[in-house]
Parts: sequence; C-alpha cells; structure tokens
Amino acid sequence: MRRFLRENSLSLAFGIGFLLTLFGQMIAGHADFNNRLVSDGMEPIGIGSYLTSSDFAVDVTENWQSEYLQFFLYVFVTVWLLQRGSPESKELDKAGPESDKDQLVGEHAPADAPGWARAGGWRRAVYSRSLGLVMGAVFLLSWLAQSVTGTAAYNEQQLRGLQAPISWAQYLTSADFWNRTLQNWQSELLAVASMVVLSIYLRQRGSPESKPVGAAHTATGVEG
Amino acid sequence: MSISRWCRGVLVAVLAVTTGCGASGGRSEGASAAATGFTDALRQGDGRQACALLAPRTLEELEKSEQTSCDEAVTQEQVPAGDVVREVDVYGDQARVVLGDDTLFLAHFSSGWKVTAAGCVPRPEQPYDCQVKGG
Repeated sequence: MRRFLRENSLSLAFGIGFLLTLFGQMIAGHADFNNRLVSDGMEPIGIGSYLTSSDFAVDVTENWQSEYLQFFLYVFVTVWLLQRGSPESKELDKAGPESDKDQLVGEHAPADAPGWARAGGWRRAVYSRSLGLVMGAVFLLSWLAQSVTGTAAYNEQQLRGLQAPISWAQYLTSADFWNRTLQNWQSELLAVASMVVLSIYLRQRGSPESKPVGAAHTATGVEG
Repeated sequence: MSISRWCRGVLVAVLAVTTGCGASGGRSEGASAAATGFTDALRQGDGRQACALLAPRTLEELEKSEQTSCDEAVTQEQVPAGDVVREVDVYGDQARVVLGDDTLFLAHFSSGWKVTAAGCVPRPEQPYDCQVKGG
C-alpha cells in the first residue's frame, strides 16, 4: 500500500487537490450566487440546486476547456517548434515526428511496447497521436459544454434583468462567451510562454521540469 | 433544438456533467400557469389573488409607488389581460411568458412561481419597459 502511494503520489496529490478545490469553488460560488440573488430580490437556493445550476457548470467548464487547450497545444506544437536552452523543447535537430527508430514503433518496438505501437496502419497512426487527440477532444467537449451552460447562465441573468433570452448561436458571438473564453486562454498561453523561457535560465533541483542545476543555459532538451 | 435538450443530450450523455440549465416541461407549465393566473385575476378584478402571485419585492414596490395596499394598487394598473400563451422561456429559476398581448417575467420561489414584472413591452438593446416590476 505504501509503495503504491509512493509510486503514484503525483497523480494522487493532484487528483485530491482537484477535488478539494472544486469543493471550495462550489462553496464560494454558492455564496456568491446567493448574494446576487438576494440583492435582486430573489430567494437564495440550496447547495444541491447550485451544484446542478448552469452558473456553476459554466464556471467549471470555462476553466477546464482552457487547461486542456493548453496541454493540447503544448503536446502538438512541441513536435515542431523549438526553444534553444529550454528543457521544454526537444533538441534542436529533432523537429518533427522523428523516425520510427527514434520513436520505438513497428519493427523497432521493444518487447514490452504497447500493442498498437508494434501494429501498423491506422492503429499506430492513432496511438502515435493519442495524447494530443484526447487532450484536443476534451478541450472541444469542455468548450462546447461551456457554450451550452454559458447560454443558460447568461439567459437566467437576462431574465432576472427583464431582458429577452438569446439562442445558443447568438451566444457564440456574444461578448460574454468570448470574454470568458479569452480571459482563460491568455493566462494559459502566458503560463506556458513563461515556463519555456524561465526554464532556460532558472533551475529547480530534482524536478524533471527543470534542467540539472549545473546545466548550461544553452543546453536544450535536457531534463533534470 | 432547445437549450434543455442540448443540456441533456450533450452534457449528460457525453460528459456526465450536471448543468441544471434549461427548462423541463413541468417548470414551463408552472410558469405559464402562474402568468395566466395573474392576468386572469386582474381580468376578474381579484386584486387579492393577483397579489398572491406577485414576487415579494414587486409587491413591495407596487405598494410603495401607489401608496396603497397591493390589492387596490394592482387592479389600478393598466396591465393587459392576455390569456393565450405564445412563448415560454425558462432558465434556472427565471422565466419569461409571452401572452397574446402581454409579456410577464417570473421567478421561482419555494412557494411556487411568482410574477416579478408584468405589462412589459420590449425595447431595443434595453430591458423591457414594465408597468409592474420590483425595484
């Protein structure tokens, strides 16, 4: 048991952290939502109703979509784009999908390679891009969910303010949808750009996200 | 396709994320019944029944602006007494019911749907202009 916890501590810590912060968001969001309701002369709602409300759902999904977009872009873009000196980049002569030998697929696959890495055709093609594809798919679904729940949350607010509701298609071109979307995208892109550049010059001893402390600033594709 | 169906079809089926958005049939019917109940009461001159269907803040605002009891004040308002429901929109605990010659806004309270505004006329790029409404 102790061994299991140690060998999976990264996933477990972030998974538990996710659940705790989602719970915290639910508590704070519920209080904030009820403050707005009472201010508008409405009746406050219970935590269960808030948990299934479009207001909570849009706040959750707008953040999910941007996080998955960040990783989807990062996974795909780093196949081709490089950054001299960054441990986030591949070595400068390895831009592109690389050879089958480098990627250990087909006849170069070791005995313990995943089955689809040894296979040919569409299975290898799909498995070779499966990380980015799943990240991209979750991004698109989360963004779709944001647009749907955002429409409902926006319309609830419209009706409370004695204004007409709008359709999903109208919401897709609304300021509310793009403000929610872009404010998340800009922060994700800033965080990635910062990590790429700062990791050229700064170090975190023992972290695989950093170069070894003594590595040169010009060393590229080296992780500690 | 309605937002409600989107929610069920897309979110519940694909992501299993509960959203609570959109309106179920029951909620639309409840909002419609409260709206027509309000206009019926006005048509019959039953101020007491009409006031029982007003949201607390709307009732309070009506009494304050007319300087009289709600029962009297509400029957003095020139609210169109439409009875044919043309369109119902329900999102969360808010609703808009468009009748033949009136538009009402409602909110859901623990005691049921209550009218927050009535006698409403749309204005471009602005909130509806309503004869009866809360602060």
